[in-house]
Amino acid sequence: MVEVIIDEDACVGCGSCVEDCPNDVYEMDEAKNKTKVVKEEDCMACLSCHEICPAQAMEHRDIHVAKRLYIDRKVNYALERII
Amino acid sequence: MDMREITDTIGTFKPELIPKETGGNLDDYEDALHVLMKFMGSMSSALEQVSGRGANAIVYQAGKRMGHESAKMMEKTDDLEKALFEMGEVLGHEFYYVKWKPAAQDSYVIQKDNEVTVKLLFMDCVVRQTLRRTGLPQKGPLCYLLYGYMVGAVEEVMDLKAKVDIDHVGPNACLKTLTIKWSAK
Repeated sequence: MVEVIIDEDACVGCGSCVEDCPNDVYEMDEAKNKTKVVKEEDCMACLSCHEICPAQAMEHRDIHVAKRLYIDRKVNYALERII
Repeated sequence: MDMREITDTIGTFKPELIPKETGGNLDDYEDALHVLMKFMGSMSSALEQVSGRGANAIVYQAGKRMGHESAKMMEKTDDLEKALFEMGEVLGHEFYYVKWKPAAQDSYVIQKDNEVTVKLLFMDCVVRQTLRRTGLPQKGPLCYLLYGYMVGAVEEVMDLKAKVDIDHVGPNACLKTLTIKWSAK
């Protein structure tokens, strides 16, 4: 089963993930002004929330990670040498 | 300036080499894939620029034709589960999909009047990768290629009318609803 972890220190409480998730996996915790996971079992790992999160505050575990053949391996190689 | 000279492909060509040898290595395949992705992206955006919303219909029709052609060799069936499995084989690993349902829903397949719907979660998709390679938004004309492909394959295998709707698109997976009308042929 998919496990979604929110980094509460990183979350800025913008609510973008709450609005974007088609399956209402997230809700705003009004007291903390942070996102909380409420329906983890309905997460289909589309990762729209990852893309929209300005703080990169979430992590999805045990998901099928789609192939990323669009990434240029030569660019990766160059990056590895720089970083 | 002189033309670029390629020396590592100098060799002897014999007809019997085909199809055993392809020439090139993995890096060449990668280069070819990326060039094709860029071509496809350019074609898609140009088509949209020229034809507007009509671009979707053109690409859909192309995909549908591909779907019919691909599924011609497949075993015909009335069984949706079997048809979905067969189509998975036809679409191959580059279009890996699974049935999906919300946790609260009992069954993957919903029967309503003369319609059957099933939600499909497309995990690996070459179309999505092409769009990301070229920086184009999802749900555009190129997505209609897969749309048409699915519809064409379903129609060919089940000999029924089908349609696919995009529910949600994401960078890692896209949710689509496949609808089949039992009464329509």
